[in-house]
Amino acid sequence: MEHQNEQQEHKQTHHIISYKEHFSTLVALLLLTVLTVSISVFGAELRSLSVATALLIASVKALVVAYYFMHLKYDLKIYRWLVLLVMVLFVVFLVLTSIEYLNR
Amino acid sequence: MEHATGFVLPNSGHNRDAEASKMGMWLFLFTELLLFGGLFLVYMVYRMLNPEAFLLSSFELNITLGTINTVVLLVSSMTIAMSITAIMRGDSKKSVLLLYLTLAASVIFMIIKFFEWSAKINYGYFPGMEVYQNLPDGESLFFFLYFFMTGLHALHVIIGAVLIAVVIYRTQKGLVTAQKYTLTENAGLYWHLVDLIWIFLFPLLYLIH
Repeated sequence: MEHQNEQQEHKQTHHIISYKEHFSTLVALLLLTVLTVSISVFGAELRSLSVATALLIASVKALVVAYYFMHLKYDLKIYRWLVLLVMVLFVVFLVLTSIEYLNR
Repeated sequence: MEHATGFVLPNSGHNRDAEASKMGMWLFLFTELLLFGGLFLVYMVYRMLNPEAFLLSSFELNITLGTINTVVLLVSSMTIAMSITAIMRGDSKKSVLLLYLTLAASVIFMIIKFFEWSAKINYGYFPGMEVYQNLPDGESLFFFLYFFMTGLHALHVIIGAVLIAVVIYRTQKGLVTAQKYTLTENAGLYWHLVDLIWIFLFPLLYLIH
C-alpha cells in the first residue's frame, strides 16, 4: 500500500499534461476574457458592480493560469501552500492600506 | 562517491536538483508578485482618492488593442505550456517550434504596445510633457501609473523573450532533453507570471468604465 502511494506520488511530480488539456484551459481563459470585456463595454451603468466583477473574473483567470499552465495541479502540495501564503500576505497589505486611507 | 539522493552529473562535481531549481524560481516569482502588488496598492489608493479622474482618463485607453494583447498573451501562455509537454515527451523539434510561437507572440505584444504608447505620447500624456503637466492631479496620476505599470510589465515581456530565445538555443544544441527540461519549465513559469500580471493590469487600467 505504502509502496503504491509512493509510486503515485512519483507519477504526480512528473505528470505530462496533454495538449488537449492545455487547449481547453486556453478556451476557458478566452471565454472569461470575452465575459469581462463585454461586462465592461455593455454594462457601463453598473459601474461599481462592473469593477468588482472585473476583479473577480481576473482572479479566477489568474487561478486557472496558476493551477493548469503553471502545473500547480500536479506539483507538490508545498507550492499550493506557498501561493496561498503570498496571496494572504497581499490581502493583508491591501486591507491594512485601505483601512488607513479610509480613516484619514 | 555515492549520494543518497539526486543524480550526479558526470565530471561536473555537483548535483543537479530539478525540484530545488523550480522552488527557487517560484520564490523569485513571489518577490515579483509583491513588486507589482505594491504598485497595485498605489493604484488602489490613488483611485480611491480620485475616482472621477481615473474613470475619465481610462476612456483614453484603447480597449480593442488591450483585448488583442490579452488574447496574444493567453495564447502564448498555452504554447509555452505545450512546449513543456513536447520536451517531456522527448519531441524537442515540436518543443522548439512552440517556443518560437511564444517568442512571436511576445514580439506581437510589444509591437501593439509600441503603437499604443506612441498614440498616448503623441497626445502628450507621457510624464514630463506639456499636456501632461497641465492635466488635473488625478488624471496625471492615472497616466503616470499607466506608463509606469505597463512599462515595467513590458520590461518583463522583453526579459521573458530573451529567456525563451536562450531556451530555444539550448534545446537546439541538445542541452534540454526529456530527462533535463528544468530550463524550459522555469522559463515557462516566468512567462506565465508575465501573463498573470497582465490579467490584472488589463481590467484595472482599460476596463474601469
